[in-house]
Amino acid sequence: MATRTTQKETLTSLVSPPVAGVASLIIPGLGQALARQLQRGLILLGSMATIIGLFAWRVNLLGTRVTGPVEKLIKALDRRPFFVVPTLVGIVALWLWIAWDAYQQAQPQRRGGLGVLALVVLLFLNLGWQISGIDIYKFVTELSDAKGPLGRVLWPWEAAFVRDTQVVSAGADILSPCDDAPPPPVPEEVPGEPYLVADPTCGDLATQDENLEEVLGTPLTLVGRGFAPNTETQIWWADPIGNEFRIRKEGEYLTLQTDEQGAFGLEITMPYRLIPPSSAGRQIHRVEARQISEVGNLQPSDVLVHNIEKMVETIVLGMMATVFGIVFAIPVSFLAARNLMSGSPFTMAVYLVTRTILNIIRSIEPMIWAILAVTVVGLGPFAGVIALFVHSIAALGKLYSEAIESIDPGPIEAIQATGATRLQTIMYAVVPQMIPPFVSFSIYRWDINVRMSTIIGLVGGGGIGFLLTQYIRLLDYRSAGIAVWFIAITVAILDYVSAEIRQRFV
Amino acid sequence: MLEVKNLTKVYADGTVALRDVSFDVPDGEFLVIIGLSGSGKSTLLRCINRLIEPTEGHILWDGVDVTAAEPPQLREFRRQIGMIFQHFNLVKRSNVLTNVLSGRLGYVNPWSSLLHSFPAEDREMALRALERVGIADQANKRADELSGGQQQRVGIARALMQQPRMILADEPVASLDPVLAHSILGYLERLNQDEAITVLCSLHYLDLVQRYATRVIGLRDGQIVYRGTQEEIRAMTDEEFKEIYGQEAERVSVGPHEGGIA
Repeated sequence: MATRTTQKETLTSLVSPPVAGVASLIIPGLGQALARQLQRGLILLGSMATIIGLFAWRVNLLGTRVTGPVEKLIKALDRRPFFVVPTLVGIVALWLWIAWDAYQQAQPQRRGGLGVLALVVLLFLNLGWQISGIDIYKFVTELSDAKGPLGRVLWPWEAAFVRDTQVVSAGADILSPCDDAPPPPVPEEVPGEPYLVADPTCGDLATQDENLEEVLGTPLTLVGRGFAPNTETQIWWADPIGNEFRIRKEGEYLTLQTDEQGAFGLEITMPYRLIPPSSAGRQIHRVEARQISEVGNLQPSDVLVHNIEKMVETIVLGMMATVFGIVFAIPVSFLAARNLMSGSPFTMAVYLVTRTILNIIRSIEPMIWAILAVTVVGLGPFAGVIALFVHSIAALGKLYSEAIESIDPGPIEAIQATGATRLQTIMYAVVPQMIPPFVSFSIYRWDINVRMSTIIGLVGGGGIGFLLTQYIRLLDYRSAGIAVWFIAITVAILDYVSAEIRQRFV
Repeated sequence: MLEVKNLTKVYADGTVALRDVSFDVPDGEFLVIIGLSGSGKSTLLRCINRLIEPTEGHILWDGVDVTAAEPPQLREFRRQIGMIFQHFNLVKRSNVLTNVLSGRLGYVNPWSSLLHSFPAEDREMALRALERVGIADQANKRADELSGGQQQRVGIARALMQQPRMILADEPVASLDPVLAHSILGYLERLNQDEAITVLCSLHYLDLVQRYATRVIGLRDGQIVYRGTQEEIRAMTDEEFKEIYGQEAERVSVGPHEGGIA
């Protein structure tokens, strides 16, 4: 049936197959276009141009600090052979394949291969892999790095409870550097009190020489007496301006056990200390031995208390934003309901304007609103309330208006037919239909807002997110872990509760 | 006595739904309106109680012009006319009793009814109405938990609460199982015969029309193209039926005529 042949088959090529092939060899896709396969030609040309463009960009990035395309290519080849070689081979293969494809397409019976398109996709994947910096090897070999932080986040409760501590300490003054004046006196020993003596009582701090090599400080012999027996003891160093730090040996904190008489002896070298140039000259440092013991009952740590406070703040923040959001969204939703507003051109214009504004507000993330709010009211939960409130109006306004639009007119008609007044009709036919979606959407929004308020904190909108970012930036993964746990627990409870409530109403 | 005079309805988009329709319905009649979908049956029924405002023409109820009635008179008129719908039009989330009680809205104090408070005798009446349609045990269920047939019976009970003198039934059995059709129409017939309630009903199936109608009017393109008495309709053949009804008409046998009343 000649009349049933498709248009595609009736259009024969403008040129012979070899001509089409050569044309595509000069400009990829040209041969296909000449063979009356303009779309295919454009796709292939566009793909080829994009692939070469992306490849050139990556080669340019890889070949830093050298000039000239060839030099850059050589450097890139040297740095990432497994990326550059396959891509180059792929581009050449694609070029030839496009020419072959043009030859095929120009023949009367077109054999449209999808293979060339598959190669295009493959090349894009290869480029994408390089551009997005995917490195499976690194991921696998360095996965163990996550163990420490992840373990602390997953089980952070050691940081949640603490005991009061009691410190038994004694110290000795060290002069740096030694000079002609008499060194600091050795402290007097009082029987029964902890006592520490250093020998000598003056010396030089560790420094770096001009080759940045470490020069060890003066060795000191420490002898302690009168400490608690058989107890872990830490050695601390305090510089003249009051900074304290624990002394390390080969990277580890220096700790020792006292003997049965509560005494110990220890060799240390004076630590490295960056001293401001202005304070050069005679300095009295202090070395201390400390025994820290826990006393009393377990009590919630500051971290735990802060987390609880901020979690409550988060829930309340989400709640306030939701309540105000609902109050404002209800009137707005009537303006955004097509079935109510389609009466006249004026109301229709109001409808369109309302819808547009709602869509714009909704498409801006609460994060962005929070950043804007912070500039107005400063850091804190109020900024978060504003951000979530604005977004809630838009989101609820849309949901409510859709609920109004989907109202079933049948019951309205039926109630009217009984001789009911307008108000009775609304009460008996409209309100029962509106309550379930309104309640459902409102609860759902509260749920969303509490979840969002944990994120809002990241940009200064108050709540637990604020705390969480601080902990993460301080690499305090245990405290961050407590925040994460609280968020997870709250969201889970809220999820359950909101699902239950919604189920009752719908 | 209902008189419809020169009724015309033109919708805002220019569709002419009814063209100069005139007919009378004496009290106690079971008038069936037949016609294709889109022939104007629903519009006609809704114009009678002015759920849809007629464009031209008059509707007289006992000689009083309903088309000119002010809202208070219109409501008083509406409450005398029960209405039953193809899709039942129950408030799905309200319980059955509330749906039935809403039939009293035209009678009770409009303000106290807003708080869902009804006089005790109305509640009593609602239960009796449910008993009459055989679903008193479902009174506290949500309307959407009921089957289609049960929902339509709630619809009838709601209409009964209006103590109507006339019932308008818009395709009351079209969304029901054919076997249920006799059950529902059986209730309407009993109300028609026992309490002399006038029934205006649109129907699709010739079997049902022949079984229940005391008089028939046929609509096509908004105009009355057929008027027949009970005898005439019972003698009607399929060919004649198709002539007024169009080719889509069906004669569906829906089981024994006398049975079905559950």
